[in-house]
Amino acid sequence: MSWCKNVKGVLLDITGVLFESGASEPIKGSIEAIKRLKDSKIPVRFCTNETTKTRQKLLQKLHSIGFSMTEEDVFPPIPACCQILKSRGLRPHLVVNPDALSDFSDVNQENPNCVVLGDATDNFSYQNLNKAFQLLMSLETPVLFALGGGKYYKEGSDLTLDVGPFAKALEYACDVEAEIVGKPSKSFFGAVLQDLGQPAECVVMIGDDIVNDVGGAQSCGMRGVQVRLENTGHLMKTTQQ
Amino acid sequence: MSGSKIKTVLIDLSGTIHIDDQEIHNSKDSLKRLRSQNVNVKFVTNTTKESKKCLLNRLNGIGFDIKPSEIFTSLTAARHLIEKRDLRPLMIVDDRALEEFEGITQTDNPNAVLIGLAPDKFNYKTMNTAFRLIQDGCPLIAIHKARYYKKTEELALGPGPFVTALEYATDTTSHIVGKPEASFFLSSVEEFNCQPEECVMIGDDVRDDIGGAQKTGMLGILVRTGKYRIRDEDKISPPPYKVVDNFQQAVDVIVNELL
Repeated sequence: MSWCKNVKGVLLDITGVLFESGASEPIKGSIEAIKRLKDSKIPVRFCTNETTKTRQKLLQKLHSIGFSMTEEDVFPPIPACCQILKSRGLRPHLVVNPDALSDFSDVNQENPNCVVLGDATDNFSYQNLNKAFQLLMSLETPVLFALGGGKYYKEGSDLTLDVGPFAKALEYACDVEAEIVGKPSKSFFGAVLQDLGQPAECVVMIGDDIVNDVGGAQSCGMRGVQVRLENTGHLMKTTQQ
Repeated sequence: MSGSKIKTVLIDLSGTIHIDDQEIHNSKDSLKRLRSQNVNVKFVTNTTKESKKCLLNRLNGIGFDIKPSEIFTSLTAARHLIEKRDLRPLMIVDDRALEEFEGITQTDNPNAVLIGLAPDKFNYKTMNTAFRLIQDGCPLIAIHKARYYKKTEELALGPGPFVTALEYATDTTSHIVGKPEASFFLSSVEEFNCQPEECVMIGDDVRDDIGGAQKTGMLGILVRTGKYRIRDEDKISPPPYKVVDNFQQAVDVIVNELL
């Protein structure tokens, strides 16, 4: 297969590739596959749009089901977003999952001048979105961040709305365009590639989302591989050949 | 200047002649003045929260003299569509609007999604239910797609953003029954036997009221009340026929220039 030639680095999505959202066991073969990449000295980074929990809790979850990556190898949107907020002097109004709040604890949130939308799940209420809308409309230059651009994901046996549709809702209401932090944004992938230390053309991104993972990676010059569940282990094996 | 004389005046309600229980500057007297002219008057509204009965109670309570037959709402248009296509929709509409749908089958097995302005029902769970139905092929019917509306003190999200969210998630386009759809404006004047060129629409929503009406060939007069925000008139092309401070001035324009 030509897509797996000259691979010097691998980016992996987490949810839907290593484990299923809501599940408490790894997807078959995924632990072994990462180990084989490691044994073959192919550096791996984990690129996730997970914002329903803190990076720490995500890591705990991964470790509890048998993975052994370190915090430095995991790239979720919230730390990247906090960096942007600080560097631009922005104070966010947060519409995020309560379990992710503490990752924003060192960002000034008084007198907010922008809105950050994460995968807020039950916090996607009319009241919360309306507050965000009213703040955006009161700003001379409204700034809206969306932590990822996904439309939906699989939770248990059902498809569930992701942050993307709610970001579209606020974009439509306020005539603004959200800045996406996370996949598929180029700057997000760029930061991970820099950490990986490999040029985009030598890197493969593996994920289950055609837009965020595959499309995003390919528009950055990487190769994108979409997994179907039953094939995860197989694809991981061929990558390192 | 318009070529033909105006025979019918369409008037938006909330944000144009009233906000909640408050009359907007001299609207009652201005409406009387308009009625003393030889024109048809029809009130066209995207209000999805309230049934026609609620609306009439509110308007007559403020002191407007308006008859049920003079009001054409997006709920009426939605009901017509549901009946015509024999649908059993999941109804994400405010409880007060439900009486407009009396007799429509409420079901555990919906084959459509109807979405209005329902702040109490726009939550993650309901949005997911709607999303899954549409994903399975059910049509999405939007009573209208307004971005926001004006409450007494503040702007608040309309149904449009929630419709947009579902359209984006499912890669579908909703069927809109209210303003700014051409069919809505045309149905509202059907009984008068006049051409679109003989109608003028007065409203505070530059896209839904003015843009929508002008697309059918009607004239549009934008009022700077209600949800109007500065430079709204630049958002549509061609621009509104006229932009005036309020309903009173809109009536002045009609009486002095268009009749």
